[in-house]
Parts: sequence; C-alpha cells; structure tokens
Amino acid sequence: MKKHLLRQITAAGITAVMAASALTTTAFADEPYDVYNYNYLGEAVPSQAGYLAERAVSGLDLGTTALKSPSDLYKDADDNFYIVDSGNNRILKVNSAFDEILLIMDTFIMPDGSTTTLKNPKGVYVSPDTGLIYIADNENSRALVVDANLKVQMEITKPTSTVYDQALTFLPQKILCDNAGNVYIVLNNTTKGAAMFDCDGEFIGYYGANAVAATAEVIANHFWNAIASEEEKKYRARSTPTAFDNFDIDVRKGFIYTSTSSGSTDTDIVKKVNPEGHNLFSYMSNFVWGDLFSTWYSGTSYKTKIVDIDIGDDGSINCLDSTTGRVFQYDEEASLLFIMGTIGEQVGAFSAGGVAAVETMGENCESVLVLDATKGTVTIFNQTVFGNIVHDATAKYNGGYYEEALEPWLEVLKRDGNYRRAYLGIASAYFNMGRYEDAMEYAKKADASGRYNRAFERWRSEFLKDNLTIILIALIVLIVAWQVIKRILKKRRAAALATATTELIPKAPEEE
Amino acid sequence: MLDLTQPQFVKHAIFHPFEGFEDLRWKKAGKLSYTFIIIFTLFVAQIAYDRWCGFQFRPLPDAMFSVMPYIMQSVVYFLAWVIGNWSVCTLLDGEGTMKNIAIYSSYALIPYIVCQFVDVFLSHILVQDEFIFFTVLQYVGLIWTGMLLFSAIKAVHQYTFTKTVVAIVLTLIAMLIILFLAVLLLSLFQNVYVFVYSIYTEILYRVRV
Repeated sequence: MKKHLLRQITAAGITAVMAASALTTTAFADEPYDVYNYNYLGEAVPSQAGYLAERAVSGLDLGTTALKSPSDLYKDADDNFYIVDSGNNRILKVNSAFDEILLIMDTFIMPDGSTTTLKNPKGVYVSPDTGLIYIADNENSRALVVDANLKVQMEITKPTSTVYDQALTFLPQKILCDNAGNVYIVLNNTTKGAAMFDCDGEFIGYYGANAVAATAEVIANHFWNAIASEEEKKYRARSTPTAFDNFDIDVRKGFIYTSTSSGSTDTDIVKKVNPEGHNLFSYMSNFVWGDLFSTWYSGTSYKTKIVDIDIGDDGSINCLDSTTGRVFQYDEEASLLFIMGTIGEQVGAFSAGGVAAVETMGENCESVLVLDATKGTVTIFNQTVFGNIVHDATAKYNGGYYEEALEPWLEVLKRDGNYRRAYLGIASAYFNMGRYEDAMEYAKKADASGRYNRAFERWRSEFLKDNLTIILIALIVLIVAWQVIKRILKKRRAAALATATTELIPKAPEEE
Repeated sequence: MLDLTQPQFVKHAIFHPFEGFEDLRWKKAGKLSYTFIIIFTLFVAQIAYDRWCGFQFRPLPDAMFSVMPYIMQSVVYFLAWVIGNWSVCTLLDGEGTMKNIAIYSSYALIPYIVCQFVDVFLSHILVQDEFIFFTVLQYVGLIWTGMLLFSAIKAVHQYTFTKTVVAIVLTLIAMLIILFLAVLLLSLFQNVYVFVYSIYTEILYRVRV
C-alpha cells in the first residue's frame, strides 16, 4: 500500500517536471546558421540576429510560372519590386508585400508601333525621378528605356564611337541611371569600367574602372616593361584590373557603389564612386569586405565573392556573398552591422553559388530580400527588435546625434554585450555630455585607445582645473618637508661625527 | 676612501659611468644576490611596460598576453649575454669571472629598468600628443644603460676602449649562436619527447589488445 503511494507520488512529480519543462521551452524560429559579428581583433564572435528569414517566395507563390534563373531584383521609389526573370524573358513587377504580381513585362511597343520582346534580360533599373524603366536586354545586345505603359522611349545599342573597341560585343549585364539622366551599363567584356551614355543615348565613355592591385607581379611587370623594346612589349603580359560586375546607386547622394566578384583580387572589391569617377573608399585599401578570412576545405579556398550590392534607404551597404550565401550589411561608414544567410535548403539558406541579387526595403532597412537564381525564389528577411535598435542607434550616431544615440546603444548592450560599436557609441555620447570618466570606461571596454585618449585629456584638464590649489599646496608642503628632514638629518650626522672624533675612534665618513 | 655599503656601491656605479665599475672592481664589491633581484625587476618592468601603462598608450590587447616573451626578453637574454661574454672574453685575455660579469652587467641595467617604471607612471599622466616625453625618457634609459654596460665590460676585463668594442660585437655574435643552439636543442628534446611518448602510447595499445 505504502509502495503504491510512493509510486503515485513519483509519477505525479515526473509529470509535473515534464509539464514545467514543456512550459519553459519557448518555441522560437531559429536561424539555420550561426549569427556572428567581428570584434576589434578580427575574431568572429556570436551575436544577436539582426534579421530573421520570414519566408521564401517562388514564382508559383506569386501566381505565375516558376522563375527560371532570375538574375536581378530591384525596388523602385514606390516600394514595388521588379524581378528580372531571365530564363522566361520577362520582368515581373511585384507589390511591396511581395504577394501579388502587378505587371508582367515581356512585350514592348517600339516608337514605330511594332512590338519587341526581351532575350535573356539581365538587369533592371527604375528611375525615381522619371519613373522610366531601364532594362539590360543582354542577348539582344541592347538596353531599353521603357515608360510605365511599356512604350520604348529609347534604345541603346552598341556604340559606333571609336572609343568603343568595335571588335567587342555589346552585352549589357546591369544597368542604372543617375540623377542627371546618364545611363551606366556594366558589360562583361571590358575592364575599363561601366559604359556611360548621356540622356540621349550617346556613348560618352567609361566610368569608374577598378585600379590594378599593386602586387609584386605587377610591379615586376612594370619594371620589365620599362626596359623592354616595343617589339618585346607586344608579347608581354599586361597588368589589367579586374572588372566590377555589379553596381547600385545611392539615390539620395548620387554615389555609385560597385562590387567585384573576381576572386583574383583583394582591392576595389567594393567602391564608392563619385560623379567624377573617383573611388571614395580608396583610403580603405586594407579593408576586407565580407568574411575576414577565407576558409580552406579539401584543397579549395572559400573566399567571399560579392555578386551584388545594394544601398538601403538609410545608406546601409548590403553585400551579397555567393560563396557562403551570406548578406553582409554595413552602415554608410562601412562598419559591419549584421550577417545573415547561409548555404542550405531551409528558409534563409540559399543554393551554393546561386544567389544573384539583394535588395532592401524601408526607411530603416526593415527588410532584406535575396534572390536565389538556382532555386528561383526570393527570400525575405525581416528586421528583429535588436536589428531595429541597432539601426536606430547607427542612424543617430552616424548623423552626429551622439547623445540621442545613447539610449538605443545602452539597449543594444543589454541584448548583446559583445556588440563593440555600442561601446564606441556610448563612449562618444558620454564624451559629448561631458561625462569623461564614463567615456573613458566605455572606450576602454571597446579597446579604442584614441577615444580613450581624448576623454582622458578632457578629464585631466578638468581635474587640474578643479584641484590646482590642492596640488600646489601639496607640492609646496612636500618640498618644505623634504628640506626640513634633510637639514635635521645633516645636523644629526654632524653631531654623530663630532662625538666620534671627540672619542678619537677612527671611523669612516658616511659620505664620500 | 670609498668605504661604501653595498647599496651605496650600486648608486656609485650607476652615477659614475667612467670609473664606477673600476672602483667596484678595486674594492671587490658587488653581490650576486643583487643580480637576481635586478633581473627579476627587469622582468617585472617589461611586463609593467606592456600591461600597466595608461590605456592611451597601451599597444597590446589584453587577449594577446603571454608571459613567455617577457621571460625571454629578461632572463634568457641576460643569461646568453653573460655566458657569451664570458666565453668570448676568456679567449680574449679578459680578467672577469662569470660572477663578476653577471654582477656588473646587471648593475648597468638599472637605469633602463628605472626609466621603464617612470614611463609606466608617466603614461597615466600624459596624453598621446605628449608622447615625446615618454619616448625621450625611454631613450635616456637605453643610452645610459648602454654606456654603463660598455664601461662594465671594460672594467671587469680590464680592456682598452677598442678591445671592449670588439669584445661586445663578438659577444653579440656569441649570443646569437647560443640562442640558435638553444632553439635547436629545444626542438630536438621536443622530438625526443614526442618519440618516447608515441612509443609509450603504442605499447599501451598493444598491452590492452
């Protein structure tokens, strides 16, 4: 009987524990990858997720046939999306909620009334000013400028100018247009930069070429070329830069950002090019975009390969790495914010080498969309609460509102104590508020000796100002005391010496 | 004349770079126990310089601290210097014993150690713009110690100026050779250890089977 009772109690206890553990196990959507960020030593440290993969949308989900190797994704000023469905020779216009097709563009009306179709289009751009749609119509060797009624306004074909080498083909890959109406087209057969056309479609020249990386081989080549004869030079290898293969424009400021996916170079992976063609990121020549270290596995090196770049409405730089299927999100000052995505099958994971385009949506980068060409899907990542706070703090911090950024940075630290930029932001805020000691503490935690130095300098001068009288008095007291002690000691020594000599005992003097 | 206590002799040697060590030799002063203390202080000073400096001057991140380089920079270098100098100068008719070389050389290191510590203190007061005071003090310590070391070697072996220069250059070469051999020996021992250990593991497996 007693045994029975005991068993019952035990059973009840076990049930209670199981129920409790079921209650404490909260169900949450875990990412199919490790979320990390880099610390100041360049080590990967676990971090909070700034984005979570929400869903993956295929062509069937949108109510049309499956996408066939889509190659570009673009968001216009009204937050409508354009998917370049290359394999199906069409462009889909999708609403901002990404659940409905607004328009399927596959046939266009030429100025003379005839219709024309696309052949393997590769890129699309929609001007925020005029609403014109720019299409890189790859295998038709042309670029189309189309209005909202699908009437072709302009057709850009292979330039006849002598500047354009006539032996080359004209196969537009990506296209965009700046605020002045100039059209830029990335071609796959030149390293001179993007072909640039004016608003009438006239070829102007090339824009924003990458620089040649100054490797030992290049320098040696330069030296040998200097002493080689003209005849020899013809057969020598030339040092040519790698070509960038994707770009995006920061519409607010007019800068064009280029990305280079070539694995053979480390320079000019991402460029910020001003209208004059100069790279404003050239000072960051040692900056590594994407993963800081390439991984070796079974004799193959896996190195970040940035295939697309997108500038968010808040100025953030989003780089898409096709090697690891990751999106690296940087703020406008090129400090790393978040890393998301991987290679795999789940939502939030992509096919190996299959990702084609990245696009962001929202004032504060609320969504990141990634186009996977192999799967034919668009994956939508949505910002987490943490991501929202970081973006808020970053925007305020980069705008110079350090004190306003203090509150969100403190909130960031509560959620992720490893987030180094929060320490920097807090140090700057306290510095501006005149709380130098706190600024020193946070600068120390961020291992930012320059920032610490500035706070320390202010703290020191304030300390001196406040305590000058005390310090001076202490100094005078010390000097006087020292002199007095010295005199007393001397007297004592002299007295001792006098007694010694009177006692006539030969004793060595204490001092030389 | 010169009936000084041992601490006073240390002071005398440091502040009289030209005849201080001669006097030390003449009076047969100098204690080996001081050498141990000084070398230990050197070790502490090296660490203090990298670890206790004000944060605005700290070049070394916390995560990268390892005690081995500091032992290397103090104890091992000093040992190599003493042994190298003794080996060279025995052949060059030097009069110094190994004990005296160690004592005199260690006394010569004191200005450098003191300047290191003063630098550590100063680094808590100065800002990066005033870095020059920090550097100057470091150079003062280095040059002073260099001069003392020279005069120490000159006195301990009773050499002329030129012979001292030659002896010091040869000592540096000898130090390099000693360190090279030490590294060689270490790696050899490591290999032997690995070999013995693998035999031990092998036997262990066999016995079990």
